[in-house]
Amino acid sequence: MKRLLLGAALFTACTTTAMAQSIGVSVAYFDDNFLTSMRNAMQAEAEAQGWNVQFLDAQGDIGRQLSHTESLAAQGVDAIIINPVDTAATGMMTRVAVERGVPLVYVNREPEGNDLDHDTVAFVGSEQKVAGELQMEALAEMLGGEGRISIMLGELSSSATHQRTEGVEEVAAKYPGIEIIEKQPADYQRTEAIDLMNNWIVGGQQIDAIAANNDEMALGALIAMRQSGIGADEILVGGIDATRDALDSLQRGELSVTVFQDPVGQGGGAVKVAIDLANGEAVESINLVPFQLVTRDNLDDFLTN
Amino acid sequence: MATTTENTQHLEVPKKRKKKVPTEVSIFLVLIGIALLFEILGWAIRGDSFLMNPRRLLIMILQVSIIGIIAIGVTQVIITGGIDLSSGSVLALTAIVTASFAQQSDYLRAVYPALTDLPWFIPLIVGLLVGALAGLVNGALIAFAVIPPFIATLGMMVSARGMARAYTDGQPVSMLSDQFTWIGSGANPVIIFLAVAVFFHIALKYTRYGKYTYAIGANPQAARVSGINVRRHLVMVYTIAGLLAGLAGVVASARAGTGQAGMGLMYELDAIAAAVIGGTSLAGGVGRIAGTVIGAMILGVMLSGFTFLGVDAYYQDIVKGAIIVAAVVIDQYRQRKRNKTT
Repeated sequence: MKRLLLGAALFTACTTTAMAQSIGVSVAYFDDNFLTSMRNAMQAEAEAQGWNVQFLDAQGDIGRQLSHTESLAAQGVDAIIINPVDTAATGMMTRVAVERGVPLVYVNREPEGNDLDHDTVAFVGSEQKVAGELQMEALAEMLGGEGRISIMLGELSSSATHQRTEGVEEVAAKYPGIEIIEKQPADYQRTEAIDLMNNWIVGGQQIDAIAANNDEMALGALIAMRQSGIGADEILVGGIDATRDALDSLQRGELSVTVFQDPVGQGGGAVKVAIDLANGEAVESINLVPFQLVTRDNLDDFLTN
Repeated sequence: MATTTENTQHLEVPKKRKKKVPTEVSIFLVLIGIALLFEILGWAIRGDSFLMNPRRLLIMILQVSIIGIIAIGVTQVIITGGIDLSSGSVLALTAIVTASFAQQSDYLRAVYPALTDLPWFIPLIVGLLVGALAGLVNGALIAFAVIPPFIATLGMMVSARGMARAYTDGQPVSMLSDQFTWIGSGANPVIIFLAVAVFFHIALKYTRYGKYTYAIGANPQAARVSGINVRRHLVMVYTIAGLLAGLAGVVASARAGTGQAGMGLMYELDAIAAAVIGGTSLAGGVGRIAGTVIGAMILGVMLSGFTFLGVDAYYQDIVKGAIIVAAVVIDQYRQRKRNKTT
């Protein structure tokens, strides 16, 4: 009897998994804090809609991501979501999905090619350059349009690094009184940023503000400053992502500004678009989720989230 | 046939050591050379001194303290003829587990809400235990399951990173107590690094533990025949390497005030680089902690030097790789020359 019940239970378990439709997701990096929040948002949205979702880690490798696409298509998922490692190298993945007839949604980073021309391919995300623009505009305003800026770069192989930095540089160029004096990488990591900031501090150059490509590096810069007795009002520090730690730091009056990138809007949005595509509905090919500037003034809106 | 050539190679190693070629001295000259190069370039490009700045000298060591702590363990593993690829991942796992036992009570999202504001030594002990456990697994796999060290520690490298991510579903563990973050503040990482270095330098040079470590690396068969319990000793060496990776994880999380699964990426390679630059032979049987400390300092000088000169970020790694290889080539060339003259 017990065995029979167990068999019945197993049978229903099998049928339900077979019945539920599934999405396969290939994420560029599992270790990235923002992408992790986005991944959790995807999971939540898929569960809410009664879909199964399977996550794969491309570990920053474009080749690995292509094989993810191939194996997901072969395994017969109903839709694929890709958070591309390299926005310039999505062509092959798009071709695999289109040939196999599997709907494909790119999330967070927009492909640079003509991938989105296909009806079954869509993009959900934000323009990374805008984040850099918002960050630099806020810093420039706080500095009164004059000052010496150092940029902390993320991983040089990441397209977000380039686009965010481009945004910062374009805005800085608009202000004649603002000069970018340093541009060095700290790989999006807090520890690396502490070391970089320490080196900048002993360099003896006057720095008025740090524009960091993400919050983790901004927090690292602040730790180095605190240990050297430099106040957060002497060197302004700006981040991007509005992570929990960054909002706490903003609240303590350390971080000057950050930019909120919406993980729920992007992750949840990507799952919705993927499900619509799988159901054969027509969708917008580009779905932009806006960035939002976070300062001490509007901090409360984000802390409650 | 193959085994006989291998044996003679191993037998040559202790002979070389008897000639007392001070590897540390020659590698120290390389360090001075690189520092002077940056000094000259500093005056030429920036019009400022690179070395005449006590704070920069401290920072050069500070930024390699965490890698240096790992490298001390890795050096001992390499001396036994093995390798440890897992240290960066073990650091991440330790950092995140340690951080979860070091959170402030006024933080609402603590991993263990009932275990906040613990005294500083509890997260420290937890971290050391996690690291030692990972090392123990490495050692047991290598000594008893006879899996090659490269494979066993590669497995641990992947699994430990996975465990670090799974521990909090990839979320960072932050808001650590002040008494815990004190461990990583100011010059404390440097003090910890140098204290550990002195301890293991003495242990390798003057104790039976050290003699066994060199003996196993020089010739495992001979070591076994002469009555050394090779398996037990290997487990001990890998456990110590894990313990030190754990200590590095504790210091890293205290320094950054957070524990995250993405910490310590590629640190194992920097640690191996520090050991090899410092004169540790990947063939086993040769190496000193003092050399590794100098090797780590070469990495630190390069990091500060590049930032000081404002070297374009894209070229830094190219130059770094070239300097690592060049340092070893120069060192070997000097040694060969000296061996010929004596």
